[in-house]
Formats: sequence, C-alpha cells, structure tokens
Amino acid sequence: MSFTIPIGPYHPALEEPFKLEVKCQGDIVQDAAMYVKFNFRGVEWLAQRRNYSQAIALVERVCGICSHLHTMTFCRAVEQLAGLPVPTRAQYIRVIIAELERLTSHALWAGIAAEVIGFQTMFMTCFDLRERLMDVLEIISGNRVHYAMNCIGGVNREISNPDAVSDIVKSIRQQIEEKLIPIFTTDRTIRARCIGIGVLTREEAIKWGVVGPVARASGIPVDIRRSAPYAAYNQLEFKVPVETSGDVFSRVVVRLLEMVESCRMIEQAFKQMPPGPIRGPEFVEVPPGETVARSEAPRGEAFYYVASDGSDVPRRVKIRTPTLVNMPVVKLMVLGANLADVPLINASIDPCYSCTSR
Amino acid sequence: MDKGEEILPQLSPGIPWEKRSDGWWLETQDTGVEKMARLMTEAEARLVTITAAGTPKGEFRIIYHWDLEGRMLNVVAMTDKGSIPSIAMIHPASDWMEREIHDYYAVRFTGLESAPLFLNPEDSPGFFLGSATGRKKEKEK
Repeated sequence: MSFTIPIGPYHPALEEPFKLEVKCQGDIVQDAAMYVKFNFRGVEWLAQRRNYSQAIALVERVCGICSHLHTMTFCRAVEQLAGLPVPTRAQYIRVIIAELERLTSHALWAGIAAEVIGFQTMFMTCFDLRERLMDVLEIISGNRVHYAMNCIGGVNREISNPDAVSDIVKSIRQQIEEKLIPIFTTDRTIRARCIGIGVLTREEAIKWGVVGPVARASGIPVDIRRSAPYAAYNQLEFKVPVETSGDVFSRVVVRLLEMVESCRMIEQAFKQMPPGPIRGPEFVEVPPGETVARSEAPRGEAFYYVASDGSDVPRRVKIRTPTLVNMPVVKLMVLGANLADVPLINASIDPCYSCTSR
Repeated sequence: MDKGEEILPQLSPGIPWEKRSDGWWLETQDTGVEKMARLMTEAEARLVTITAAGTPKGEFRIIYHWDLEGRMLNVVAMTDKGSIPSIAMIHPASDWMEREIHDYYAVRFTGLESAPLFLNPEDSPGFFLGSATGRKKEKEK
C-alpha cells in the first residue's frame, strides 16, 4: 500500500521548521519532497539598510550555532574591499573561536544523532561536553551563543586567560578520544543504525556540489581551510578527515575526527599566537567595488558576496549557507530507505533551516 | 597545466579574466551561461552559489561563483528583460539557487520548471526582496 507522510513543519522531533513529505510503499521510501521556506527573515534585505558595523550584529544572527563564522566571513569581505590589514594575533583569535564553535556544533550534532538513534546516555554525554565548550566560549567572550568577537579589521576582545582555556581544550580532546570516538565507532546499536544507511555516492556529491562533512564522508576532500586558507589556518598543521562510504556512519566518523583536529588546532594556535594588537587601523570607509569571501563553517563552506557603492551601507550582501547546498541531497539519501531511518538520515547532514532561510 | 588553465581561455575567447585577491572575475557580454555550465561540469567544478544584484536599468547581474580546485571563478552575466537561461538541467546544484533568486527577485530562469521553494502560494515572486520597499509597501496597497 502506498501512502504519503508529512513530517513537519511543526514536529516534536524537529528543532526548526522544515517539512519533508515522504511517499512510501510499505515501509520503504519511494519519493520525497522538501520545503524550507518557513523561517525567512530577510537578513540580506536588512543588511542592505544598515551600516557596516550594524550589519555585523545582524549577520551574527543568521545562525545560532555558527554565529562567529558569519561575522568573520562578512568582516573578511569588508576588509578585502577596504584593503584593511588584520593583525596576526587577531587572525589566531578568529581561528580559536571558529574551532571552538565547530566543536560546539559537532558536539550538539553528535548528541542529537545519539538521541535520534535512541542512545540517551550518549546524548547526555555529548551535551555535557557541549556545556563545557559553551562555558569556555563564555569565559572568553561573555556570551554563550553570539560571541560578538569580530569587528572590521580584527577582533573586539583578547583571550585573557589562554592557559586555562588551553587546559580545558586538552581535557575535552581527551574525552573525545577516550569516550566519544570509541563508543560511536564500536557500539553495536550505533553501527546497526548508521552503517550502509543514507548513502550519498561520490558522483552524486560532486554533481550536487555538497560541502563540509557531508562531502568529506563521500570521499571529497573539500575544505576551505585547506584549499583557500584564511585567517591563520595556513600557519597550522591539521588533517582533513575523509571517509569513502558516504553513509551516515561515515558522517559520524568524519565529524568525530574533525573534533580532535579542532582541539589540536586550538592548542597549536595558543602556542604560536604572537603578542601584539588585536585590531588594525581605524575603519574609515569602504570604496566602491565588490568581493567574495568564504569560510569553512561546521556544516561546510559559507559564502558572502558584498558590494559597496562607497557609502557606509553595503549595496548588496549575499549569504549562502552550507545547508542550502546540502539539503537537496537528502532526497537522494532517503530513496529506498526504511521510513524509520528518515529522521536519522535527515539529521546526518546536520541541517540548519535558520541559516538556510535566513 | 591545471584544470583552471584549460578552462579559462575556453570560457571567454577574447575576453580577459581579471585576477583579484578574492579570485578570478569574468564579465561576459552575452548570456552564454549554458556553455559555461557545460565546461564547468566537465571540469568537475563546484557551483558555490549564484548571486543576483540589481542594476539601475532594472536588469540583474547574475554572478556564478565556481570553485575549481580551490580557485574561485566568478562569471558575471546579465539578464535580458529579467530573464536568463537556467543551467539546472546541466548542473543540478544550481536548482535551489535559481529557485531562490526567482522567488526573491522575480528573475526568470528559462527552462527551470521546479516548484517554488521559499514562497507561500499566495506570495508572488519578487514579493520579499524584489522592490526597494519590500513587504511593507505591498501590505499598504
């Protein structure tokens, strides 16, 4: 018997509004349609009606998880247009916050994945880890979500107690290596729910231009931190974890290994960070022109286009978040899957509808 | 010779690319975007996104941002009476990007037959971002 099941947009298992309509034959998904229009806030339109400094606070609210990444990418675009140098110390601070943000995001995702799988203990473990990470960000910035670290030409705040932060990151790395990775990769329930589920082939991943851990789990080593380094990433040694199976399990493994790399990068950054100013020269004006900037967000590449007409208000701000390019492939992943696996497959791309609709 | 060095001359015979700190830029004089999409697809370039930027004459600059082995290639085309050919049949990744631009700015991508992505059925294309005054003005009417 064939039937259609609407999941969302208001659904107890979804944190954000999103609708997936799946057509099933028995328990097997035959087709799917997606709707992501429910969270439109007109951020681009609003950014084109505020000055550059005000727009920073606005783009920080595109996403509640990778807020630093958005302000950093926007500021980098404006800095490119204005020809503003950014001090080396500020570049390292940007990297440290970005990697802490990645850790927070991946810990959140791992917790949600564990919950969807039905592994409540692991959910609590991941969220406990996330709390510690958010505490670190609060120690540094005073905020747990919108850190307000970036300004045009540098950062707003020093990291006043680097040794304490570095020690906490070391203990977090230990917890990831000794608890998260062994349990997620060896537990029979997790393996049964994730291996061979929601496969995205390398060919399809290239065709649809997916990014971030979703691409890297399908054998594509795309990572903007490596292919087009920004901030202080070209000064750091790190691996880009790549898996080839393209299933949910590969996405789990890629994110876990990335968490270890993020810790390593933070530890390196604290050791290498030179003393000096955290802001460049006073930001005066942005000459007419256009530019693009992109950064590696926890979910993949984020992209900004900024155009200036010489006034203090950007003429055009375009934002492309990673979920917009990763979402369309969910339709491919769920085809032929068991209906019970659809929530996990959807969660495996770590979607952010707030970012997507913006 | 890398893929970029092969692709760049084929895409723009006679029109020079401009190399900037943020990548390579090409202002095309026509709307030969389908040829661009075919060449980029063959080279396994990744479509990062498409940007629509309005012009004083009411047309839109449509900028295709590609990543080719880490190199950013930005190809600029212009709409003709608000239309430009869709490349979704050649490069599927453009599907949602074209639909989004259509919904927000009422740019028509000829050959694109997908259902609206972001709009409610009662909202017409361009309702949200297509005018300077946006939704408030529409409500006043």
